[in-house]
Amino acid sequence: MAAELQSEPLQGLRDTASAGSAVSGRRLRSPAPWRYLIAPGVVIGVISVYPLIKLVQIAFSNVGPTNLIGSWSWVGFANLSAQLHSHVLWAAARVTLELTVMLLVSDLVVGFAVAAVLVERSRTTSAVMSLMTFVWALPPLVSGSVWKFLLASDGPVNGLLGNLGMKPVDWLASPHLALWSVGFVTSWAALPFATLVLRGGMLSVPKDMVEAAAVDGARYWQTQLRIVLPQLRPTMTILAVLAVLYSFQGFNFIFAMTSGGPGTATVNVPFLAYQQAFTTFDLSAGSAIALLAMVVIVLLAIPYTLSVRREEQA
Amino acid sequence: MSSRPLRVGAPPRSLSLAVKIVLTLLYVIPLLWIILEALKSGAQTLTAPNAIVFSPTLATIGSVIGEAGGSVLLSFEVTASATVAVILLGVPAAYALSRRTSRRWNRTVSAVLIILLFLQMVPQPMTVIPLYGVLVRWHLLGSIGGLVLADTALVLPFSVLLLRPFALAVPSVLFEAAALDGATGRQTFARIVVPLLRNGIATVGAIVFITVWGEFIYATNFLSQGSRYPVSALLAQQIGKYSADWNTLMALALLTSLPLLVIFLFAQRRLTAGLTLGAVR
Repeated sequence: MAAELQSEPLQGLRDTASAGSAVSGRRLRSPAPWRYLIAPGVVIGVISVYPLIKLVQIAFSNVGPTNLIGSWSWVGFANLSAQLHSHVLWAAARVTLELTVMLLVSDLVVGFAVAAVLVERSRTTSAVMSLMTFVWALPPLVSGSVWKFLLASDGPVNGLLGNLGMKPVDWLASPHLALWSVGFVTSWAALPFATLVLRGGMLSVPKDMVEAAAVDGARYWQTQLRIVLPQLRPTMTILAVLAVLYSFQGFNFIFAMTSGGPGTATVNVPFLAYQQAFTTFDLSAGSAIALLAMVVIVLLAIPYTLSVRREEQA
Repeated sequence: MSSRPLRVGAPPRSLSLAVKIVLTLLYVIPLLWIILEALKSGAQTLTAPNAIVFSPTLATIGSVIGEAGGSVLLSFEVTASATVAVILLGVPAAYALSRRTSRRWNRTVSAVLIILLFLQMVPQPMTVIPLYGVLVRWHLLGSIGGLVLADTALVLPFSVLLLRPFALAVPSVLFEAAALDGATGRQTFARIVVPLLRNGIATVGAIVFITVWGEFIYATNFLSQGSRYPVSALLAQQIGKYSADWNTLMALALLTSLPLLVIFLFAQRRLTAGLTLGAVR
């Protein structure tokens, strides 16, 4: 199907198109490449952009399972204001924030420390990196379900604690600990990526800078913090934005490990939107939550987009 | 002034060793537990779920392969179709967005890039609600085609952004030479751009395969009840059940992971390079 869309319906128009696009004098006449965007543009427009517009429309209407296909009555800001006054949403926002902070600390602080150790090229380093990258590549459901098992009340972790003479811990069943457990596993799964990116950044720091500091007698961590870290600022910024976005998407581990429980202790915003839409079948409420989340994401994405564009123009 | 100057700028050895050991344990143990648990029988799981020493059996894995083998094949079908579709759509898009032919076109490129960046950030669970309605309207709900379409749209923005740096790296001299030789735009694309993008296509192909293989939100919602599900969706349903069938669950997790191990072994270096590139560009 994709191939069909791609075949050239506009062959005849090519010459007109290339003549029309004002190609700057020095360059040779090259045809405007826009026709290569037609097929991907149609797919993205129809399956990605159009549904988002529908999402906004549903958020402003009254839509349930019975009238999903049918006419929707416009209710204005009623859904949005109901959500903004709902303490459930604010609780979910708090969970999202807490997970984000955990992930940021893990990605930036732990990631930096791990990358600083793994930056030295050796056989053991590449073995550890391979192992971590493979785990990163595993489906989140697989790593989520094995941690659900490891952390279960009668699971191996508590078994080990028992052997050491300690009491079992309710890793996933206690409202206080469950969020920490989900945060830990999310960070565990994200750490390989952070390490990979930061290590890449470290390897591109000029070697003589590091060596000069070492010859001056600076210790390893001093060098890392005073010389390497400032060089990594752009990488760190992008990684931080990605961590925030990733934690917004941190749906998979919640789904696999706690289903939002115990109670609503680990329900984050995307999970709440999903629950409202597919468990309660209140599609309008789910869409309203999704819309609010998206506004936040857009605000957060602006610095990222700008930094990417700046690099683009450099 | 003992041995230090020899390892200028290297972490202290004992610390380095300690960190590597901790990381290895942290990432190997969960993998080992998947295998260990999958080798237990139901009775063994009930009596001693945490035992490390036991007589292993292939019965659990065997029965899971019997039940979920078809799902693995379906996963291959969905994942391969989506990967091919993403490459067929993404390569031309990345090529178009890498050209700088006129000022107006450059502005279009910037606008499209911003849209793609934004789409890439939308959390997937939030796209399920409206996509559901769209697929119902088009009578694609419950069909494999609908699922493939949804998966394609999910990874396409990211794939184009990842492919673009590879297309940017094609020297513009080549385009000029091709134009001088009288090659049409289409010939230039097929004979110059596509072959030079081989690395990028392999990298993005591997990442797309991994992502779509593990995708379960669309698969559980967009296929009809009682039909055959891809293996990731099957795993999602098993997780949802309240039971302590850990051996079955882990055998299913193992079955879900093995094809990825193959992909990983083939594409590891490209993955590492591609991921770093994707994050920084």
